Amino acid sequence: MSEKRYKLHPVAAIINFVKGLKELILPFIILIVANGLNFSFNPLEEGFWSNIFPLAILSLISIVYLFSGVIKWWTFVYWFEEDELRVEYGLFIKKKRYIPFDRIQSFNYKEGIFHRIFGLVQVMVETAGSTNGKPEVVLTAITKEAANDIEDITRKVKQETEHLEINESTVLEETAVQNAKVIHKMNTKDLIILATTSNSIGVVLAGIVALLSQLGDLIPYEKLFEEVSSLIKFGFVIIALSVIGALLLTWLVSVLITFVNYYDFTVVEENDRLIITRGLLEKKKVTIPLNRIQAIKIVENPLRQWFGFAAVAVESASGGFGDKDQKVILFPLISKKDLFHPLQNLFPHLEWEQTLTKPPKKAKPFFYRIDFLWLVPLVAICTYFWYPYGLLSVLIIIPAIMIGLWQYRTTGYAMNGQQLTIVYRMLSRVTFVVEKKRIQALESKQSYFQKRRSIATFQATVMSGMMGATARARNLELEDVEAVMEWFEK
Amino acid sequence: MRNQLMFQIPKKGLTVWRLYGLFNTLFMAVLAAVASFLTYKFEWLPIIYYIAVAVVIIVAITSVWLFPKIRWDHWRYEVREHEIEIQSGLFVVKRTLIPMVRVQHVDTVQGPILKKYDLANISISTAATTHIIPMLITKEADDLRGRISILARVAEDDV
Repeated sequence: MSEKRYKLHPVAAIINFVKGLKELILPFIILIVANGLNFSFNPLEEGFWSNIFPLAILSLISIVYLFSGVIKWWTFVYWFEEDELRVEYGLFIKKKRYIPFDRIQSFNYKEGIFHRIFGLVQVMVETAGSTNGKPEVVLTAITKEAANDIEDITRKVKQETEHLEINESTVLEETAVQNAKVIHKMNTKDLIILATTSNSIGVVLAGIVALLSQLGDLIPYEKLFEEVSSLIKFGFVIIALSVIGALLLTWLVSVLITFVNYYDFTVVEENDRLIITRGLLEKKKVTIPLNRIQAIKIVENPLRQWFGFAAVAVESASGGFGDKDQKVILFPLISKKDLFHPLQNLFPHLEWEQTLTKPPKKAKPFFYRIDFLWLVPLVAICTYFWYPYGLLSVLIIIPAIMIGLWQYRTTGYAMNGQQLTIVYRMLSRVTFVVEKKRIQALESKQSYFQKRRSIATFQATVMSGMMGATARARNLELEDVEAVMEWFEK
Repeated sequence: MRNQLMFQIPKKGLTVWRLYGLFNTLFMAVLAAVASFLTYKFEWLPIIYYIAVAVVIIVAITSVWLFPKIRWDHWRYEVREHEIEIQSGLFVVKRTLIPMVRVQHVDTVQGPILKKYDLANISISTAATTHIIPMLITKEADDLRGRISILARVAEDDV
């Protein structure tokens, strides 16, 4: 039986090439800058050959990339045979990969700029085995109809096999297929709040400050300062204005980045699967089967906690989604009072508001005392090298203790029946909710000092990508920790 | 208070840890010798001699005598019908509980030194984590591996 073989869209060759170029950009820049930007194209000039040599190598490499992209596209075929998705490519070394339909966990889609021009889509096929952060098969560019065909064919075959197993529920299945429900959608206002309160705003700020300091050579600061000091009153205004300007710029950049990444963020529940779509220039579509979700994380960074907002992420068993992170953001930003209703709908077997068991009062010092291990040497070094101003570094102990106390106030856990909830804080408050059957290993820890006060820490690890994800409740009463261990044993 | 776990690591394991510590010390001694030689050659500060000697002595005491002893005292394990429990740690004592249903595979690993002493490490892998019970007598390790794999097969559950 010879099945019809499908090829990728020719644009795939270009996309492969551009992707290769992207990886080359950094070495390119380094080489050009290292050469001091003094390229000459006169073969008679001294040092012409030594200058042109790296450039020649780079152009050679990019030509190789271009060709390998074309060859990969040229040789790449996929087809369906014996209920398997089969992929084959390679010129000298043939690579073949056959994936049975019922092993396929989900299809994820990505549309870059090239894709959108030609109405194409990149398909990433996820299986349970693809835990090393890479999807099992990537179809770089195919038309949307072809993508739909693939999904239809796999679904049909999957259902047929299921029908054989359970004949009675056929009718139910048929009706359930079209049962799509929008769980969450973000509007422009949400996006702006998201951008304003996101952690990355600090990174952007740092970037802009770095950029401004690089421009320092161009802007005659000293001359400016002279004039400023002569007009000290206006000087203050100028400084204030520039600070405000920098902040405003930061905010705008952050909003822009957020819009590009999260535009039209929609979560849909369909056939026990979550489908998340997002993106302005590059559209991404991620599918997670609900039964592959290992744990749910509600994250409130301090700013968002202040305003009553939170983000929700899920740890999923199936590997990467084209990106490296295994955490899938379910709700990038949602107000805390609207949070529990959709979660209750999605995960009806879990409870969301519980009374937490807190660490005992005697555990208070344990939350900040550990920081002294690195704080004391740091202060000592600062004092030694920058005496007397280095002494000011002692002040760093105050925020360290305050964060410790804050962590103490946040920490807690709750367990009931089949569910464990752990609340902890590094800086952001994290609520980690997991079912007992999803916990891979539970660990209790006790240092010598903790033992003396009969205090202990415990942590639960769930499957998530390669490393797994861990939540830790620190410095609880020993009996409480032992109760959790016993709960887990049963 | 939870019960102390039943099984300890064989006394031979302690010897092997001390041996590892000795290798560590030798390595540090070589580094110290190089540093001292360079100090002599380029006439750096003489305090470097004392630091080098002190480091070697400290490493010798801790990694040959103290740490293996503490670690050996802390290491305990128990393989029960439904779970594996391991206690380990140097300064912080950890107790890990792995349900049998979560165990994916069990390996025994044996390097040349372990082989000489007729010892083997067992490593137990779940979907997310790997746990090691070190320094078991080879025969015991093989038996334990077999037992865990049978128990893990019995305890079926959906992941």
